[in-house]
Amino acid sequence: MCVFRDGKVCVPRGGGSEPEWGPRGASLPVGVSAQLTMFRYQSLEDCPLDEDEDAFQTLGEEDEDIDQFNDDTFGAGAIDDDWQEAHERLAELEDKPATARELEDGAVSDEMELLGHHEENLAERLSKLVIENELEDPAIMQAVQTQPPMQQPGGLNSSIWDGSAVLRRFRGPLLTQILCPKPVHIRAPMQQRYPSPYGERMSPNQLCNVPNSSLLGHPFPPSVTPVFTHLQRAQLLGGAQAGRMSPSQFARVSGLVCSPLTSMNPKLLQGRVGQMMPPASRFRAFFGAPPPPAPPPSQQQHPLCPGSHLQNLRPHPQVFRPDTTHLHPQHRRLLHQRQQQNRTQHRSLNGSAGDRAGHRSSHHEQLRKDPYANLMLQREKDWVSKIQMMQLQSTDPYLDDFYYQNYFQKLEKVSAAEEMHGDGPKKERTKLITPQVAKLEHAYKPVQFEGSLGKLTVSSVNNPRKMIDAVVTSRSEDDETKEKQVRDKRRQTLVTIEKTYSLLLDVEDYERRYLLSLEGERPALMEERKQKICDMYDNLRGKTPGQERPSDDHFVQIMCIRKGKRMVARILPFLSTEQAADILMATARNLPFLIKKDAQDEVLLCLLRPFSLVLYHLPSGTVTSLLQQLANLPQSATVPAPANLHLAAVLQNKFGLSLLYLVLSRGEELQNSSAAVELMQDNQWTELMSMATRELLRIPEAALAKPVSTPSNLLSLFSRYVDQQKLNVLETKLQLVQGIR
Amino acid sequence: MNYMPGTASLIQDIDKKHLVLLRDGRTLIGYLRSIDQFANLVLHQTVERIHVGKKYGDIPRGIFVVRGENVVLLGEIDLEKESDTPLQQVSIEEILEEQRVEQQAKQESEKLKVQALKERGLSIPRADTLDEY
Repeated sequence: MCVFRDGKVCVPRGGGSEPEWGPRGASLPVGVSAQLTMFRYQSLEDCPLDEDEDAFQTLGEEDEDIDQFNDDTFGAGAIDDDWQEAHERLAELEDKPATARELEDGAVSDEMELLGHHEENLAERLSKLVIENELEDPAIMQAVQTQPPMQQPGGLNSSIWDGSAVLRRFRGPLLTQILCPKPVHIRAPMQQRYPSPYGERMSPNQLCNVPNSSLLGHPFPPSVTPVFTHLQRAQLLGGAQAGRMSPSQFARVSGLVCSPLTSMNPKLLQGRVGQMMPPASRFRAFFGAPPPPAPPPSQQQHPLCPGSHLQNLRPHPQVFRPDTTHLHPQHRRLLHQRQQQNRTQHRSLNGSAGDRAGHRSSHHEQLRKDPYANLMLQREKDWVSKIQMMQLQSTDPYLDDFYYQNYFQKLEKVSAAEEMHGDGPKKERTKLITPQVAKLEHAYKPVQFEGSLGKLTVSSVNNPRKMIDAVVTSRSEDDETKEKQVRDKRRQTLVTIEKTYSLLLDVEDYERRYLLSLEGERPALMEERKQKICDMYDNLRGKTPGQERPSDDHFVQIMCIRKGKRMVARILPFLSTEQAADILMATARNLPFLIKKDAQDEVLLCLLRPFSLVLYHLPSGTVTSLLQQLANLPQSATVPAPANLHLAAVLQNKFGLSLLYLVLSRGEELQNSSAAVELMQDNQWTELMSMATRELLRIPEAALAKPVSTPSNLLSLFSRYVDQQKLNVLETKLQLVQGIR
Repeated sequence: MNYMPGTASLIQDIDKKHLVLLRDGRTLIGYLRSIDQFANLVLHQTVERIHVGKKYGDIPRGIFVVRGENVVLLGEIDLEKESDTPLQQVSIEEILEEQRVEQQAKQESEKLKVQALKERGLSIPRADTLDEY
């Protein structure tokens, strides 16, 4: 059996499944009473364990009992007392001391009055307050003007609106807000509701509070504020916006208020909703049905007043609070544009002169035939798209939406380049408006429960509390096995790579920041950048200051990991020449090892490009030593080994060979340039060259790797060091002459 | 009337006939009446369509409210092309029967497979998710 708050009773029919709406206080048919009895017994848990003949007799007796119970509960015997009202009255006692002080006739007797003639007095006093402010606040004025006189809705006793039912007598929206402040401890849990980026569906209980907050742009003068508790004020200032309220709230509310029959009929409902729209927008139900004659206006007034109130507020130029919970003006413009479009569209369609495109009229034809169309109102659609638009707002679009921003920048660059070539503007790329919105400082105030002794710590998203005391126990040295050591070392390397990568991303971003920053900040930015680059380099080489960096170990470890290699490739352009050369040397020195480790990843090739760029800037001495490293000869060359394994390994690898070629090519360039004399006289270079050529000749062609590219000047290089015969061999082997491929 | 370029929005799809595929494998066809920011859907005159082989059967379901997270995909149905399908519509009983037969066959083959693997000393770990279809 279901009992509704408005007093209706729903009783399951004997044997059937459909609930039947029963009139209040009616005596129930006998057939049902048996079931009811069972029901009652079960719920009361005093079900007789054994059924005896007496039970049937008692059944008969129960009938009268039931009627009596009915009477007590619903009928004449019942006291029509709304517990919620009483509760609020009592709660207002608490608020009373605060308000009493500020009120002009703050006498202790107020409390008595509150209890006695609670509603009228409070309402009157507050209405007096309101009147003073009315003139200053244009929004309230307007609302009041459009406010038709209200009556107490008859027939509704204990609906959720009863708390303010009596108070509705007076100036509607404002008073409703002031006069139904929720009891404090009911309100408290809601305080956690910080301005959320998405408009939430608020329960009808919050309906009272929302119109409060919509008056943001028009804050109440101090004399009125004491009516709000600290919590409500926080809500006010924290800010909800008018548009956040779902327009369907009104539909729902009216649904509650009206009889179920009308709510079943979508047309009627829509008509009602159409009525609720303020005259300004002139929206009519789409299929042109005129709004049906309104049901008793009293039933509508309450939901209507906040609605109209809000509607009237929305077109007001609101103070733009830079904050992600509010709609950016660009987006709002879009929304309004769309609304205008819709209205004009509907207007023209409703009129006869709508000369629209054929497809659209057929589309609308279809919609006309579809009686269920537009169940979702335009307002609701706008609400959803508003949420979507709000989601696009961010305090830093470059941070939140990096890939989209970059993608569009690239596109724009391309189209700008195209335009430069005089092709004229090509296709218009519509870009998604992702406005940047300033951050709003939220001073976090922990939840305070009034009337509680001491402060309760409530853990929430904004105020996390340590729940578990996790103690880190470090392992003793004995336990560690070799495996674990290796694993730890690898983990260390991974951590280093991650840290260095973050630095790298920051450094790469400096250009953009530089452009955005002010003049004064720039030197500081440059300094930061330099520092970060140094840090990166230290990370790469392993921070052992003081010494000559004897060990490549750290670097090699990094280079063994795929991400490390890619990172080094990205870092190289930022390093100074010496530092870059150092890296190159280290790579060359350990190349066979790296080649072996890279067999699976094959990422070394990504290093070629930055390496070649670095090579371009290297002086001849460095180039020589680089070649030396590649060939793995000690500084003072003794008798060269018959087969240089190091070099052989290098030659057999694509990367190695390509690198070697690059180095040789660079050497050749240097020779041809002004510094040529130096190089020619360099014994080392000659030696290295001969070694290289020897190795190249020795290695079978099948084992030779295929380089990425063969520089063109190698032929001339080799011609200096080998005789013609060998040169020919080399030529064919290395396919030095263009066109053979 | 593109609301926001570069985004996907269901607002344009309202009041149109849609096919919705759910995470549990059901296929619903209905008129999309209402949405919200979580892509919760209200489908009107919904029909659950069961496909078995080349046949399909429709079970009328009325109004569906689907929680957004359970939707795999959805797409608008072109009303003109809707009837243009090689599939054959059959009665509900028939399709349910077919489905049952198919499920049974699947289970049989699964059992055989597991058996065969077991004999060879292998085992396939069971999928512990709820989304099995």
